[in-house]
Amino acid sequence: MANLLRPVLRRLCGLPGLQRPAAEMPLRARSDGAGPLYSHHIPTSPLQKALLAAGSAAMALYNPYRHDMVAVLGETTGHRTLKVLRDQMRRDPEGAQILQERPRISTSTLDLGKLQSLPEGSLGREYLRFLDVNRVSPDTRAPTRFVDDEELAYVIQRYREVHDMLHTLLGMPTNILGEIVVKWFEAVQTGLPMCILGAFFGPIRLGTQSLQVLVSELIPWAIQNGRRAPCVLNLYYERRWEQSLRALREELGITAPPMHVQGLA
Amino acid sequence: MAAPGSCALWSYCGRGWSRAMRGCQLLGLRSSWPGDPLSARLLSQEKRAAETHFGFETVSEEEKGGKVYQVFESVAKKYDVMNDMMSLGIHRVWKDLLLWKMRPLPGTQLLDVAGGTGLAWVLGDAEELPFDDDKFDIYTIAFGIRNVTHIDQALQEAHRVLKPGGRFLCLEFSQVNNPLISRLYDLYSFQVIPVLGEVIAGDWKSYQYLVESIRRFPSQEEFKEMIEDAGFHKVTYKSLTSGIVAIHSGFKL
Repeated sequence: MANLLRPVLRRLCGLPGLQRPAAEMPLRARSDGAGPLYSHHIPTSPLQKALLAAGSAAMALYNPYRHDMVAVLGETTGHRTLKVLRDQMRRDPEGAQILQERPRISTSTLDLGKLQSLPEGSLGREYLRFLDVNRVSPDTRAPTRFVDDEELAYVIQRYREVHDMLHTLLGMPTNILGEIVVKWFEAVQTGLPMCILGAFFGPIRLGTQSLQVLVSELIPWAIQNGRRAPCVLNLYYERRWEQSLRALREELGITAPPMHVQGLA
Repeated sequence: MAAPGSCALWSYCGRGWSRAMRGCQLLGLRSSWPGDPLSARLLSQEKRAAETHFGFETVSEEEKGGKVYQVFESVAKKYDVMNDMMSLGIHRVWKDLLLWKMRPLPGTQLLDVAGGTGLAWVLGDAEELPFDDDKFDIYTIAFGIRNVTHIDQALQEAHRVLKPGGRFLCLEFSQVNNPLISRLYDLYSFQVIPVLGEVIAGDWKSYQYLVESIRRFPSQEEFKEMIEDAGFHKVTYKSLTSGIVAIHSGFKL
């Protein structure tokens, strides 16, 4: 019975990239064989990923302030989808450049002074305004840890860092309603399981009035725009700061939201 | 010892105990961190280049204290919750058994090192205790000695501060004696514990360190010999839960 179980356990509990371990340590998930592929990488076995996915989903529902759990859920369930996204980026000229150059959005890489000096209505200026009004910073995004491929780790990192950009593009604030709308847009655009789960489970805590507005107006609008727009991961935002937000919206086919969602100036 | 509020633990043992415990002079020692400048100077100069283990990593002896300190800083907030979740509450039974073995009486001078979330405490270093010789009747350390950089020094210190006739008691993770249970225990330790740490406390690495440091700790027999080397007599041990933990006991004559 143990002999039947052993190979199954090895697959479930083995680390990515690890050679067949010596007889002594078949169940030890952590060993010197599987090194990290990038800084912050924590190699995990399929079993650990499954447990993490279940645990993080439960915790995120239980305590919506655990944003780190949403990130973990995304990382542990997104491998297949990230591959599709990465391939799609490779086929697009702007996307391919992003994959090559790997730009990052953080206060250390952004020239906030320059963004401030840009004309009103430009992407850069409006992005900065969004950060100010909602009192958020691009630095709160945790680094990727559980994706076992360093290029895919960058793709999910990019998706996370672009999230604020999407708020700006869609004109959605960072309250629960705004976040759900953006999640629906992202779900349609990326197909990431975490976005789909977030889109469906996010509204659980909403009151009936908000739910009504969401279902009748905002979600259909988000879906429509999500389907119409090209993949938002293929936009090199850092080269488009001067572009007028209106022009960018037109380029992407993003229409004005059906109503003003409270919060964004 | 690292239980939520020593009083709660005492009442666990029944009213007789809690009355007895209230009569004891209980001192808990927090934060065994051999990283302060004094102990760094006292640790012999030759050891500076020496290496030791930090879980499955290799680090310099100087580094280890600081790294262990960081781990416990990190886990402190959710310490009790995590202990309950990881051991399914069984850690309370283990600590109970330790207390039973101890059978403290009113007037017993008891020192609990690496006291965790216990009561009245003193800050110090297990490898260099801030107490005079021959002071305590009982010295306990529960789930602490594993993290000390120089276990032999901690044992020597324990010997020093105990009165003649005093007793050393250590509750610590040990080696599982049953091969099937060992497999299951490994599986649980490495697959589940770090995940629990991440989901509940947002901290994978500290709990990875925890399960690795357990594997690094000497076996029941080896630890018994270390205790004897520090000068203790009548050293015995009792394995609990198939050897997942063990209570070691020794006397200073």
